[in-house]
Amino acid sequence: MNPIRLTRDVLTPIGKGLGVTISHLGKMLGTRGRAKFTVEYPEERREQFPRTRWRHYLTRYENGLEKCIGCSLCAGACPARCIYVEAADNTDHARFSPGERYAARYEINMLRCVFCGYCQEACPTGAIVLRKEFELADYDRKDFLYTKQMLLEPIPIRPRQVRASDEAPKAAPRSEAA
Amino acid sequence: MSQVEFVNITIDGTTVQVPAGEMVIESARRVGIEIPHFCYHPRLTMEAGANCRMCLVEVSMPRKNPDGTLALARMPKPQTSCSLPAAEGMVIETETPMIVEARKGMLEFLLINHPLDCPICDRGGECPLQNNTMHYGAATTRFVEEKRHPPKAYPLSKYVIFDRERCIHCARCTRFASDISGDAQLDFLKRGADMEVSSFRDTEFTSLYSGNVIEVCPVGALLSRPYRFTARPWDLSTQKSICTECSNGCNIKLDHRAGKLLRVNARLNEEVNEEWTCDQGKFGMDYASHEKRLRRPLIRDGAVFREVSWDEALTHVATALSEAGPAAAFLGGARSSNEDLFVLRRLFQEVLGSQNMDHRLGPAYPSAADVRAALGSQSPTPIAAYERMTTIIVFGCDLAVELPILYLRVRKAAVRRGAKVIECQPSSYRERPHANKVTDFAHSSIWYEPGQETAIAEALAHVMTGGRDPGASDGASDAAASLPNAVAEANVEFGSAIPRLDDGPIAIIIGRDVWSRSLSVPATLKAAADKMGTPCVINTYACSVNEQGARELGILPDGSVQASAPGLNADQILHGLKDGTVKALWVSGVDIASQFHDPELVTQSLEQAPFVVVTALDLNRTATMADVVLPLASVAEYDGTYTSMERRVQRFHQAFDAGVDVREEWRIAANVGMRLGVDMPYASWRDIFGAIATSERAFAECTPDNLGDGGRLLADRNNEDSR
Repeated sequence: MNPIRLTRDVLTPIGKGLGVTISHLGKMLGTRGRAKFTVEYPEERREQFPRTRWRHYLTRYENGLEKCIGCSLCAGACPARCIYVEAADNTDHARFSPGERYAARYEINMLRCVFCGYCQEACPTGAIVLRKEFELADYDRKDFLYTKQMLLEPIPIRPRQVRASDEAPKAAPRSEAA
Repeated sequence: MSQVEFVNITIDGTTVQVPAGEMVIESARRVGIEIPHFCYHPRLTMEAGANCRMCLVEVSMPRKNPDGTLALARMPKPQTSCSLPAAEGMVIETETPMIVEARKGMLEFLLINHPLDCPICDRGGECPLQNNTMHYGAATTRFVEEKRHPPKAYPLSKYVIFDRERCIHCARCTRFASDISGDAQLDFLKRGADMEVSSFRDTEFTSLYSGNVIEVCPVGALLSRPYRFTARPWDLSTQKSICTECSNGCNIKLDHRAGKLLRVNARLNEEVNEEWTCDQGKFGMDYASHEKRLRRPLIRDGAVFREVSWDEALTHVATALSEAGPAAAFLGGARSSNEDLFVLRRLFQEVLGSQNMDHRLGPAYPSAADVRAALGSQSPTPIAAYERMTTIIVFGCDLAVELPILYLRVRKAAVRRGAKVIECQPSSYRERPHANKVTDFAHSSIWYEPGQETAIAEALAHVMTGGRDPGASDGASDAAASLPNAVAEANVEFGSAIPRLDDGPIAIIIGRDVWSRSLSVPATLKAAADKMGTPCVINTYACSVNEQGARELGILPDGSVQASAPGLNADQILHGLKDGTVKALWVSGVDIASQFHDPELVTQSLEQAPFVVVTALDLNRTATMADVVLPLASVAEYDGTYTSMERRVQRFHQAFDAGVDVREEWRIAANVGMRLGVDMPYASWRDIFGAIATSERAFAECTPDNLGDGGRLLADRNNEDSR
């Protein structure tokens, strides 16, 4: 091979590439190991980007009622058809959400989900959200079928507040006419 | 028929010729322009219509200038196209800035008091208000004040729930109740901002057609209670089917999800149900996904049933039936498809050599030969033909209960086409609690006590054959005076208002209660009809879904031409089981223990029967007394055809997989036949239907592919005879 072409096409690019590596090595050595480019997973976890979309959650209002009303709009928006919703009537004895309707069944097939976030976008009450919990691996196919109980946030526990009814009862104002 | 006059109109630049007087909204549809609307419905009258103001268009009419030339003059305000009859030279514009603005404004008004709770509304996703707002409405609302909040989810009846908040007062439901079903149980109360749809003083909405208002409602105000919150439209799959709740053969759509039937809606068929259903059909099909459905074949093991494989069950049945041979019998079949019946008949006639078959479960049904002798072989009047009748006589038939869709057609004939309806009914029908009675639109009503049927029929025959004073003017006559003594003795209010009967075609509907006990009424009327000059058909309609199919395919003791001697009828079969002349019984799809006129006889017979096999959807009373119970596929789970009461063969399609181990009845029968050494090589309903077309004269012109969506009437029986 022509020595000029050999220098131009082979030796120079190799030299440039090695230069990058060596310069980074130099930086590393210069900071005496303080700059780290890997994390020690699983002891440590890298911080996720703000708009990362991973595991779904069904959220609640502050008073503990579910935000989900079982409208199935998420299922309609889902391009992977991985959401199954069955709704039912709220009754006075069993109230799950404000209003008439709640989700009696809510299931997501995580194997099918493509984490596009359309469900979150479609949700009229902001009930379903995709959070940053990314460790979703499991051993069994059927464990990827997330049920409503798995998806639902725990009921928020707050310090008990003194309610009006807990205070000492006040005497009703007496009517003048009586 | 008068000549239809045509006019030329221009819609958005397209000139089109339409019948004079046609509403512009319909004309626009002809040229492919959809004008948004809520209250307009082609089958409802325009009284109280044109109230949603959504279908506004701009109209210009040609006007003569003083010099004689024509110029277009634009109407100053937009017009409602649903109430604007097309006229010569009319120029319509549907997308001008004024119209766009007007639609936007109308939607804004409609939405002022609409709660916009679309995510939880069952109509959301298939809602005209939602769709039109998306297409024509404003993106946001300017209305920040508190909306009206009447009670939500108010139950109007067992089936219908009413959400007053969502109502936009289009009057479709009230017009359905007054125009189509005729019970007028829904109407507007109060006026102005307080206006609301209501039943009279909040009484129950008991109409037998209440389910239709759910379908005509353009918003989610009237909703189905059984379907409430079970699914959204985009969750559902839809399949074409046929209603199985009576013999009218209504075309329906089955909406299902995850192997479960959730909802029944009407499917358009102008010849049968137009676009209506009755409540029996709309809400009565839930058996298809009932949790009590049988899942596996059962064999009696002492006092309990044991779940067995199909192979074991079928072998058991085949053995027992072959032992019985010609002493085997078949009962039921009025709910089975044509294909089921054909293969079952082959099994009994060809394999077992038995003619003991009966689909009728009444006290003393006349034999097929007697019916032929009394009534000839007239084809029944098709449903749509009632609109061309001058006189319709309803004899001992509570139409709305027995043949609900025929009731709507007879009512339409009477109210819109001016047919005279005469009813002769047992006086007990007056006390029936439902709201849809022939009396409401009948020209005259004749009430009789049980036992007087024949006298009434004779009196009617007397009038039909001209037993009236020829000098009497139309309408009132002294028919009562010239009636035979029988009626006078019976002291029936025959009325003096029997109309002339000889001025046009007559259809006579005879109720099952009458013709199944004795043929004297149909025979009397038939004899009179034959003497009349006008065409007159005596109809003894079938009542169960495929009862007519069972008649056509000869599931009758004397239904077969080949058989030398008639077999046993239902009564004789059951008595035969008791005294041992019948050795095996196949009961198909009917709970004879609860539905037979003599349940005691059934219980005794089934207990003493050597062998009983029942094919059923669930473990009904008859099935609990059987030796073998075979689970059937429901209408939603297989393909086939039914023959409706007007002899229309219609196709039903499989909607979903049963998910359990059930089979079609024809497959069961063919499997049994094969175990007995006769090859019945049927792979699908098409094979069997082809075989039916080859062997049955009435089905000769039918093929699996020419039934179409609307079905096909069987060849006229009169032609058959002359062939």
